[in-house]
Amino acid sequence: MLRKELDPLVIPTNGSPAPKREALVRPSICLRGVTLLRRTQEELTYDLKRNLFALVEGRYRRPASKPVLRNINLEVPPGEKVGVIGANGAGKSTLLKMICGILRPSKGTVEVRGSIAPLIELGAGFDPELSVFDNVILYGILLGSSKASMLERAPGILAFAELESYASMPVKTLSSGMTARLGFAIASDVDPDVLILDEVLSIGDEHFRNKCRRRLEHFWHKDATIITVSHDLAFIRESCTRVVCMEEGRLAFEGPTAAAIRFYLDTVSEADSLHRGE
Amino acid sequence: MVVLSVLRAQLGMPPRRYLDLLRVLTERYVKVRYRGSFLGVYWSLLNPCIMTAIYTLILGHTFARYYNNSIVDYLESCFVGLVVINFFSTSTGHALPSVVSNSGLLNKIKLPPSLFPMSLMSASTFQLAVGVFPVLAIITLVTSKSLLNVLLLVVPVFALVLVSCGTALIVSMLYVFFRDIPYMYELLTFAFWVATPVFYPISIVDERYRFYLQLNPLTPIIQCIRELTLSARLPNLEIMAQGLLMGIFVALFGWFAFRNRSALFMDYL
Repeated sequence: MLRKELDPLVIPTNGSPAPKREALVRPSICLRGVTLLRRTQEELTYDLKRNLFALVEGRYRRPASKPVLRNINLEVPPGEKVGVIGANGAGKSTLLKMICGILRPSKGTVEVRGSIAPLIELGAGFDPELSVFDNVILYGILLGSSKASMLERAPGILAFAELESYASMPVKTLSSGMTARLGFAIASDVDPDVLILDEVLSIGDEHFRNKCRRRLEHFWHKDATIITVSHDLAFIRESCTRVVCMEEGRLAFEGPTAAAIRFYLDTVSEADSLHRGE
Repeated sequence: MVVLSVLRAQLGMPPRRYLDLLRVLTERYVKVRYRGSFLGVYWSLLNPCIMTAIYTLILGHTFARYYNNSIVDYLESCFVGLVVINFFSTSTGHALPSVVSNSGLLNKIKLPPSLFPMSLMSASTFQLAVGVFPVLAIITLVTSKSLLNVLLLVVPVFALVLVSCGTALIVSMLYVFFRDIPYMYELLTFAFWVATPVFYPISIVDERYRFYLQLNPLTPIIQCIRELTLSARLPNLEIMAQGLLMGIFVALFGWFAFRNRSALFMDYL
């Protein structure tokens, strides 16, 4: 029954390996009519005192909610590499948070099949007092692994970050570049069915950047489903089989990479000419 | 089976995974608090010891007549009261900012927000179990000479942990919405400090108001621990049950209040 309600927007991509099987293979990610209303932070009063005074004086009103995502229908077959593009504030990162399960939709449903891993920037989240090794274990478990598997994987992670000799030092003694390397090493040491990438990370010196790139390429060659947000259109053109273009919380366009990028660039130049006209 | 599925629905994930997360975060907080030195745990005894000394010096002489004319009895019962109120106020105070201070993590990884106040509470409970509890057990053994009393000590201490957990969940939830809560909470813990018979005998309070003191969930807990530590006879089971029931009530109330509001958290973090 739900199948009937699928949005006609979902069209098979030319050139992707999946289209013929698509009718048989269940989608790896499926969003149906997803709408998200959020109380916007600028309207909130984080203050009991002021809320009480407003209540007493009769000025109190419930904080208004604004739609951040509007009626999004998206189906991603397994193994597809999807790029998400759009202007700042169009809801790209919110869409990824929705797929990760960090935010829950106000309306509609989000389904993800298989394991999901966000490849996120961990650098700022480390506990500075804990040792490098303990942080590896801690974040591995927070990201979804068990303690036993983290103990097994920790040496490999430290080796990738080239921080073996710092294992017992507190994280606060690391340089910011080293911390970023550690973050990437932990977050990318995964083998998920669905990989979420919010802006491709490029960190560290030239040597480490190459390592990052190689590890990311490795994901591309496997059959993991990848969703990536990026402003780097050259990267999107090169590495995605399908692209979603977002505009003010809507899916403005969805289709083959080249067409989507053309659509996006057209909307940008339209907006530019409007600005120049004023 | 039913219990497991209810737990799973309440936690929003398999209980096993929640416990894994709870354990690793508890270890983190314990490690950071003591930075590798195990003696750090005993540092937490310093505060109630010094406070007991101060109260005994100033009030011990006057209040001794309520305690079989014994300053030692006053000192012991003051210590018990201080240990309880001290655990309550420091553990909930630690937990209060925990959801907000981990907002970065909550925005990046899918985690149940209750994890942070709960793991801080379990770190505080660990500290209680290895620091204060053995001291209470020794006092009990020496004064009451009854092993049963030592074993029964677990009940009011468990009730204390429950009351504190419920309170920690409520204040950490309120802090998400109202960032000026710490000032008010400070006042509230002071009120608790005075409205709990910590350093005075409950019998000096006018009988009309004694009932209200009995509504304070910490009051039966303190009374129960005092009975167990200071007298050889079996404790008043009614007070013990009262403390435990209040503990369960506060813990459940805190849990459901937290769950009820947690859907809104991400808009505020």
